[in-house]
Amino acid sequence: MEAAAPTGILEVDRLLDSSEPRPRVNPVWWMGGIFLLAMCATVIVGGAPAESRQALAALFGLLVVASVAALSLFSVYSVRQLRAGHQRVQQIGELVQLRRWPEAAMSLDSYLSEPSRTQQLRVQALAYLGPVLARLGRFDDVIAVQTHLIEDGRVDPSGVAALRIGRAMAMLHEDHLFDADRAISELRRGPAAGSAALALLEIYRDVKTGHPAEAVEIFQQKLPILRDQLGHRAADAYALIARAYDLLGREQEARTAFRNATLLAPVVELFRRYAEVQKLADRFQPAPAPPEAA
Amino acid sequence: MLPVDSTISRVRRDMTLSTLLKTALGCAALVCIVGGGGDNARVVGLLGISAFWVWLSLNSARSSRTAAESPSLIAAGQFEEAERNIEQTVRAFSLFRPVKLQALHHLALLRHAQRRWQESAVLARALLRQRLGALQPLSRPTLLLLADSLLEMNDVRGAYEAIARLHRERLTLPEVLNLLAIQLDYSTRIAAWPSMLDNVMEKVQLAELMPPVVAARSQAAMGLAARKLGRQDLADWLRARAELLTDVQQMALERPALAELWR
Repeated sequence: MEAAAPTGILEVDRLLDSSEPRPRVNPVWWMGGIFLLAMCATVIVGGAPAESRQALAALFGLLVVASVAALSLFSVYSVRQLRAGHQRVQQIGELVQLRRWPEAAMSLDSYLSEPSRTQQLRVQALAYLGPVLARLGRFDDVIAVQTHLIEDGRVDPSGVAALRIGRAMAMLHEDHLFDADRAISELRRGPAAGSAALALLEIYRDVKTGHPAEAVEIFQQKLPILRDQLGHRAADAYALIARAYDLLGREQEARTAFRNATLLAPVVELFRRYAEVQKLADRFQPAPAPPEAA
Repeated sequence: MLPVDSTISRVRRDMTLSTLLKTALGCAALVCIVGGGGDNARVVGLLGISAFWVWLSLNSARSSRTAAESPSLIAAGQFEEAERNIEQTVRAFSLFRPVKLQALHHLALLRHAQRRWQESAVLARALLRQRLGALQPLSRPTLLLLADSLLEMNDVRGAYEAIARLHRERLTLPEVLNLLAIQLDYSTRIAAWPSMLDNVMEKVQLAELMPPVVAARSQAAMGLAARKLGRQDLADWLRARAELLTDVQQMALERPALAELWR
């Protein structure tokens, strides 16, 4: 599950451009046009001899059957294509969830290099691109993708809130502290207010900007929701709070928090996510783990 | 509240009716194309049938849209609204079988969320007896619902049959996670400790992707298996992880067998 940064792929500008869906012709309009033409022809030849009218009626009948058959075939083809697109994006989502980063990166590059079937699928794939880029440490690209999605206007309010949190996290990683602080203030007024993800973001900002006491206060207030909403990602909060306690000189509490963090997530993973936590590497021992987990 | 038995009957009756209606419309269209009568009458007849079909399809599509909202309402805990939504879908006529079958699945999902295990199991079984056609993928979440409901009702044999059927299917990641949680619960009930520790780290990594309460329960179950098999280091590690993820006392109330890990 370790990441090796693939090179020469995931160029954000190119992928944003190439993944735009192409406009498609709606076959219903064509069908409507054919029916209209056929009806006009029926009216026009209303006064024609009986043989001509019969031939036209047969032709009209055939046209209707052929059009319905063509529309049905087209619908089956479209549904299959759409289903294949859904499946591909779903597989990418699974790769991201399973933290199989190199495969996720390759699949995303391949998927977004072609026009998506629908805007919805494109938005979904771009949403998965954020975590992959973050994993590769390309936080400026994360900001670019998430800004694109937020401004795109196709994501629902709770999705936008999640994107804003991801973008603010990337801003903190890139030391855009002013922008991150402003983003956090905006998030406090939106649907993410009171969420564990926002609490984690605030803890990270406070640790990063040297306000450990504030970080500890948020952690103590929000611990139940950090546990209930983040699950194993509560390891991030424990790791950051270990650093906060360390900055405050509260060694025993720092040691306990570091132990809890390393119980929930591998120490290497935590160091990779937060450079600040690496400073604890020589000070505290990770939680003891069985040989399988080593 | 929608009564389960009459809902199942109504869905079955509506599906039969829609099949009959579709056949009748198809026959009428065929008669218009190849049958006798005046040319204009045939054209008007064909146009009338097409218009009726389109009208029914549009109504069915509206039902389908209403039905599609139910899972998110259930997930958000808005059970009353979900119930109303499902009731609307069940009562409305639909030309398409999938709309009705989906409504049945959503009702099973709702009853499962309401912890009405018996009703959820009845609905899931009724759905699995139907010819699902294009909705075949729906059989997997339905089997998962069935297995979980049966386990909650202590029907271990029934749960085993559902789990065995799921092992023959190709599952998505959320389904794999759901199945793993159910299987660990099942194995705890039948004390199948060694099998619970097969590929234990793979299971632990999957458990990390589950919702916190389920992740804690699954790791506690593996911890209990480790303890039973004399792997105290693994048991301690899994127990400590579970403690960080959930309220252990609450978990012990819901799954008394797991309380042994803390004794």
